[in-house]
Amino acid sequence: MGAHIEAAVALTSHGLRRPTARRLADAAARAGLAQAGKESGEVDMLINAGIYREDNMGEPALAALIQEDIGANLGQPPVGGHGTFSFDLMNGVCGVISGIQLEAGLLRSGVIRLGAIVTSDVHPNLKDPRSAPFRPSGGALLLDWDASIAGFTDFHIETFPEYEDLLVSGLAWQEQNGPHRRPRRSSGKNLMAIEGKPGYQARLVDCAEEATRHFLRRLGMGISEIDLFVPAPSSADFLEPLLIRLGIPGDRVAYVAEDLEGVYTTGPIAALQAAIKSGRLREAHNTVLVAAGAGITVALALYRQTSP
Amino acid sequence: MQRTSHRTRIQLERLTGIHERRVVGPGENSLTLATGAARDCLTHSQHQAADIEMLISTSITRSKGKFSQSFEPPLSLYVKQAIGATQAVNFDLSNACAGMLTGVFVLQDLITRGEISCGMVVSGEYISHLSWNAARQIRSIFSKQLASLTLGDAGAAVIVERTPNGGPGIDVIGFTTLAEHSRLCLAFPSNIGPGAQMYTKSRTLHRVAIDDMAPLVAEVMEEAGIALDDIDYLIPHQTSARAIRKGTQEFARRLGAKPKHVVVTVEEYGNTSSTTLFVALHKYLEEQRLHKGDRVMLLALASGIEIGIAVFTIDSQVDHYGRTH
Repeated sequence: MGAHIEAAVALTSHGLRRPTARRLADAAARAGLAQAGKESGEVDMLINAGIYREDNMGEPALAALIQEDIGANLGQPPVGGHGTFSFDLMNGVCGVISGIQLEAGLLRSGVIRLGAIVTSDVHPNLKDPRSAPFRPSGGALLLDWDASIAGFTDFHIETFPEYEDLLVSGLAWQEQNGPHRRPRRSSGKNLMAIEGKPGYQARLVDCAEEATRHFLRRLGMGISEIDLFVPAPSSADFLEPLLIRLGIPGDRVAYVAEDLEGVYTTGPIAALQAAIKSGRLREAHNTVLVAAGAGITVALALYRQTSP
Repeated sequence: MQRTSHRTRIQLERLTGIHERRVVGPGENSLTLATGAARDCLTHSQHQAADIEMLISTSITRSKGKFSQSFEPPLSLYVKQAIGATQAVNFDLSNACAGMLTGVFVLQDLITRGEISCGMVVSGEYISHLSWNAARQIRSIFSKQLASLTLGDAGAAVIVERTPNGGPGIDVIGFTTLAEHSRLCLAFPSNIGPGAQMYTKSRTLHRVAIDDMAPLVAEVMEEAGIALDDIDYLIPHQTSARAIRKGTQEFARRLGAKPKHVVVTVEEYGNTSSTTLFVALHKYLEEQRLHKGDRVMLLALASGIEIGIAVFTIDSQVDHYGRTH
């Protein structure tokens, strides 16, 4: 018995003329529900793990707006034991795996029966697409409980704070028209800054390798026992050196579709989508998900498509 | 009110019951408030930083250094490093003013299943800048930014652990999101100054909260086999003293019972957003107003609309606060 992947959908602009973070997550969530043959009202928990939005809204959680958009348990208060609980989780590229860890646990304890993890990132200042080094995208992952498989069994999240300043981002006030003279007039803007330092990609590979080895050692697993490796990010400067160092052959890797290369928090979902589409997730006994991002944080999960 | 750019004639103190609030000093921000609270929380516990297996930061504001709102790495990483909880798994969680109780909900499940035995939820809210931005634009009592004038800065942290030897703990905890009302309170980065601005339809929010919260609370209490008059202290989200008193009266009328005491601390601290429940709990523990065996209900209400309920029984916490500490 275990937490089972019911659907994984990743998409880019999805034909939207002006793809916002909310619309991308909405589109992915709807597509995920359709793929799983589920109604939105069946979602007990909706976690949004996206980071970058066009408006940088502070509250409410974007997850609540997505819940409203997809129509999950709206109407009168959901007395009778069934409603949807939505919130945002922020852990960069590792957010999806953190979300899976929480929902897999709640599925195990029977608190929820269907969990959704959605993601989306768009350029924070839409007028300047160079302001963020990623491709706008949205993703949705649906998890339920399956008595016939082991599902998600183990997680490992490791941080390397000695590299915490290699990638930082945040909103900072920037004066645009000099000092305030008229108090009600805008004289500046809160702009998003994403600041990467040289060496970030190289350290990301180092940390991902180290954390992967720690995880496998804890599990008593060898590299050769990994049937399918699901990595994020998918960029060649991360993936190629990591695969060489770990000794994982390319035919055991879930490579994302070309149009989804360079996505951000959606990365793990895009790789899972590729693994599902190719049929390899169903065939693999041991699937290892790995994600690495700012912090530096590396998150890993083991998914077993075998009997518990 | 002295900072408002327009002559408003709003009697905010009479309207909200808030007499005072705290604002940060030079060099303080969400991170320093959160870190200070985390350290203080450890000193009031029997734990070392190394015991913390998971650390969740739930600040809405997330100011740190030059950033009025930090996005990456998560604030929780900096907090855990600062307090020495280096082995803790960390992430940030954002759920408006219900953030801290959402973190407790998450930890409670992990602890119940035995995945971890000790975790911390922390939040630092440097949120008073919303007041300064609102003060420049508010013209009347009907302004959607009026609620921003009630905000105060605070940090809070709570350690959730496995109850030793089957002692009392969390009786029940639950959450739901009434997403059809998701746009009643929205906060965005400001376009007139550093920080953010918040727009709230306060009256509608209050009405919806009363209408929808009462049946949810009744259902949770019934499932847990606890009557409302079994509750010794109700700690609701602290928005305004008037709203809490009116809300509690209406609550009691609809549910036919009322808790023995309703905790109101907003008069002294203002609305400290995600930290209100735990600032109030800390104050009552420090003043030794809570005793072993007292049953406490935490009631979160937040933009979303998020409604969260937790009922727990006071035990050894009282030994670490007040004169005995």
